Amino acid sequence: MTLWFIRGLRRGVVTTRYPARPDASGPSLPAPPAFRPQALTSHTADLLAAICPSGALRRDRGVLVYDVGRCTACGRCAAKAPHAVTRSCEFELATTDRSALIKEIPVREEAR
Amino acid sequence: MTAEELRETIARQFGRSLHIRTLDTGSCAVCEQEIRLLAAPHYDLNRLGFFFTPAPRHADLLLVTGPMIRAFAVAARKTYDAMPGPKIVVATGACALGGVYPDDAFTHGTVDAVLPVDVWIPGCPPSPLALLHGLGVAVGRLADKVRDLPFTEDRDPERTRGGS
Repeated sequence: MTLWFIRGLRRGVVTTRYPARPDASGPSLPAPPAFRPQALTSHTADLLAAICPSGALRRDRGVLVYDVGRCTACGRCAAKAPHAVTRSCEFELATTDRSALIKEIPVREEAR
Repeated sequence: MTAEELRETIARQFGRSLHIRTLDTGSCAVCEQEIRLLAAPHYDLNRLGFFFTPAPRHADLLLVTGPMIRAFAVAARKTYDAMPGPKIVVATGACALGGVYPDDAFTHGTVDAVLPVDVWIPGCPPSPLALLHGLGVAVGRLADKVRDLPFTEDRDPERTRGGS
């Protein structure tokens, strides 16, 4: 009992101060990916839309429609096209508007 | 918004505390594990005035996980109806937002199909910090900032490995 008390004093408060102050673990949490429009060609976008297992990525004319709410952060897009997909490091994604989670990523058309 | 302001908003709207009823509509239970961690010492949601309650009659906020299987839709509706107003429905996780299961003979695919959802928390599973942010958005409008996130990055792609 006494040893536990001393151990607690030595380690200090473990509780996060999160809403008031940022938590240290925030940037390292699993997060939906972000995309690099410079490197995202139409070919790559088609490929990513085809391999996305949760249907979060969909191709539309000239854009890649990205539903962040559907993304399970599985990382398959990042593994397939590491030059075009990057970490977003965002976890504060809660919203009162579902449509705010649907993003349109511009796609670079390639002449090929 | 600071924790103090959040606490004040809860106090104003819900009389000092907000009671959460969790509802599993067919999730894989990882969302439940993350929700359970909110009560652990590291996150300690009681410091913000949130409490878990086992009874929908005592709840102000319904934290729904899972893709809303059709067999559970009636029970989910009854749970919602049993809650006193004002009440908030929070859809939690990619399943509840339509990411994992389709709308078919077994699941509705999204929570929206059955309950009027007020706040959506993405993530598979959403981390406890994301859940805390979601609860903050639900009660105090803790900076609903996802609209302004572009999810694009314009840095030079040459800097990363892989090339093009």
